Amino acid sequence: MSVAQQAKKKEIVDDLIDLLSAEQVNTNEEDLYEASVDRYKKFAYARNAVDVPKPAAIVYPNSSEEVSSILEFCNQQKINVIPRSGDTSTEGGLENWKENTIIIDAENLDKIVDINTYNMEAKVQAGVPLEELENALREKGFTTGHSPQSKPVAKMGGLVATRSIGQLSTLYGGIEDMVIGLECVFPDGHIANIKNVPRRAGGPDIRHIAIGNEGTLCYITEVTVKIFKYYPDNNKFYGYLTEDIETGIKVLREVMVNGYRPSVARAYSEEDANQHFYHFSKDKCVLILMAEGPENIVEATGEAIEEAVEKFSDGIIEEVDSELIENWFNNLNWSQQDIDDEYEGMIENDSHTGFTTEISANWETIPVIYNNVMRRIKEEFPRAHELTLLGGHSSHSYINGTNLYFVYNYEINCAPEDELRVYHHPIHKIIVEETLKQGGSMCHHHGIGKYRSEWTKEEHGSAYYMLEKLKEVFDPNDIMNYGSIFPKEDGIKKYINKEK
Amino acid sequence: MKIICLVKYVPNVEDIKYDYEKNILIRDNVKLILNPDDACAVAFALELKEHQPEHEIEVITMGPKSVKPFVEDLLRRNVDKASIISDKLFAGSDTYATSKILSHYLKDKEFDCILTGTNSLDGDTSHIPSQIGELLGLNQMSNITKIDLARFKKTKAVIEVENGENVLTYAMQLPAILSLRKESDYKLPYIEYENMSLDVSDRLDIISNQELGLAKEEIGLKGSLTKVVNTYNKNFEEKDKVVVENNEEGIDFVYSFLKKKGFV
Repeated sequence: MSVAQQAKKKEIVDDLIDLLSAEQVNTNEEDLYEASVDRYKKFAYARNAVDVPKPAAIVYPNSSEEVSSILEFCNQQKINVIPRSGDTSTEGGLENWKENTIIIDAENLDKIVDINTYNMEAKVQAGVPLEELENALREKGFTTGHSPQSKPVAKMGGLVATRSIGQLSTLYGGIEDMVIGLECVFPDGHIANIKNVPRRAGGPDIRHIAIGNEGTLCYITEVTVKIFKYYPDNNKFYGYLTEDIETGIKVLREVMVNGYRPSVARAYSEEDANQHFYHFSKDKCVLILMAEGPENIVEATGEAIEEAVEKFSDGIIEEVDSELIENWFNNLNWSQQDIDDEYEGMIENDSHTGFTTEISANWETIPVIYNNVMRRIKEEFPRAHELTLLGGHSSHSYINGTNLYFVYNYEINCAPEDELRVYHHPIHKIIVEETLKQGGSMCHHHGIGKYRSEWTKEEHGSAYYMLEKLKEVFDPNDIMNYGSIFPKEDGIKKYINKEK
Repeated sequence: MKIICLVKYVPNVEDIKYDYEKNILIRDNVKLILNPDDACAVAFALELKEHQPEHEIEVITMGPKSVKPFVEDLLRRNVDKASIISDKLFAGSDTYATSKILSHYLKDKEFDCILTGTNSLDGDTSHIPSQIGELLGLNQMSNITKIDLARFKKTKAVIEVENGENVLTYAMQLPAILSLRKESDYKLPYIEYENMSLDVSDRLDIISNQELGLAKEEIGLKGSLTKVVNTYNKNFEEKDKVVVENNEEGIDFVYSFLKKKGFV
């Protein structure tokens, strides 16, 4: 870093301290190194081979008004801002591509404002951990219904900003179905509060400007979500070994189109099943369902599951002990300890726990995408002989289609800084290309981040016009999370393709 | 110096699966990996070459042609030349026949040292290095955990050898066959990004029996002294299933179980 750059960073830090307080401005080098990337560059991070600049500081506002002051200041000074809340991003959404950047972390926005069990809503600040809210609700006999794998680490603002989805989404919906209202702050300092009502026809639904904006348009400071009654004693679990993943998907479709909503609905390829269910999968594909809710609904859903399984019994090999499925369900989430353990492993070994790329499409198209992707990776990926895992599963279903979670891992025989472009990117590219070619969506729930921004225009087609206009209007100085969602040629060349 | 690295690609035992219905091992789609002891041999040779680029390294392996992409990657890591000795006629060769085939190929080669591994993950007999030594009239040493890089010369190598609880240091006259253990911890260098797709075909030979000219009676099953009377899969007794919770009690149960079985 040049002397001028260092001086500029110091100036930014001094100004931020004047604006907030010294305690709210973190310039610890280790923390800044960690804040320069997210889990996308996990291997390079663990090996000290990160190639992006460190931010100048991480700031911790205490209120929406302070968020407003910070954004106004950054907007005037044209300083890049990366909003952060939870830090579990996997697609480069929290990666920094600008020399003059600050991270606004929601750590101090940590209050559960209100839980109203009569109106069935909970209002929380952005930095409230999902698990904290869930635990508070469980004490009262309620649940958020939101349970992403990152539940023990994720925070509410980040979940909303990335259009998160939970493992029970087939019943409860994605976060976009749960958010009733929210408060967000725009780069010019304007604080917008979207009120909480059951439904309204007051023009376009402006919640969706903030939900999923990935910090590129505004900073979410507070959200109100629906809550649900919690009936853990009624849970019923179903598991089957299937001949192929198509059978599993057919059963999922049958249950969905008949009007039932299991909370868990998953079909795994044999390779992926082996990862999670090696103790019972016998190298076969696995189908898992769970019925949840009031007793009579659980009963009816269970019957519908059994009928669907019966209809496709030619592809069902055997039923799995439901206790095994329940046990799997009770250990679904990964914790901070799991993340730390993976980092320790990556320091010592040339390997990690793998990558995923999640897409969605309608029922007809999903098997086509799955088979084409499998074939193309095996035929076209130059390092196919080093693959140690290639498979996938469907884990979130809708009446008109489902998602696919491609999972892959490989032996790493190149330098840590080259791992992504040698292994991950070529595989990721095939999945995205094939999905878009078949008319699916390239990102079901991880967001676009920076590493799918190359295809944002193709993802949205003629509707990209609407996205682009939002960016122009709300962030005219382009200070919000440079490189995320909206493609930036210089960043793509430098940090993805590593062109010199 | 000309160094030959004798390596073997072995099935990754972690990939071998069990068919519970037929009670057989499933070897289909099992990935091949470079035998860990042999990888250390190549890694040492490459480390030496990095310090003294005049050294020439040739990798020789016997096995199916499907090992080609893995061997190509060794060439991309700076190995100078590689040969895959492969022929359907070699199938079924025991360690004796394999040693004969490899020795036949090596006898006309010029080299100062053969580096290889001590054990292979699959066979684990450790026969091949010593049998080749015998057939070529070379000294051979197994269980090497360190080779002194600075004192590795054309006529002599100083090595450390694990012997029970002791580590012994030897000076060994070259040419000889030095067999390393994976505990030597020599690591293969990364392939440089620019070399990831490098065309190395001009440095890779596929050698069949047509070139070697060995009699059919000397190779494969016919040439093997080991006669297999029968093979069978060990049947496992079905045990009662025990499901424990992910809590202190469950962890204690698993720990006690592993301790009882001698795993911890």
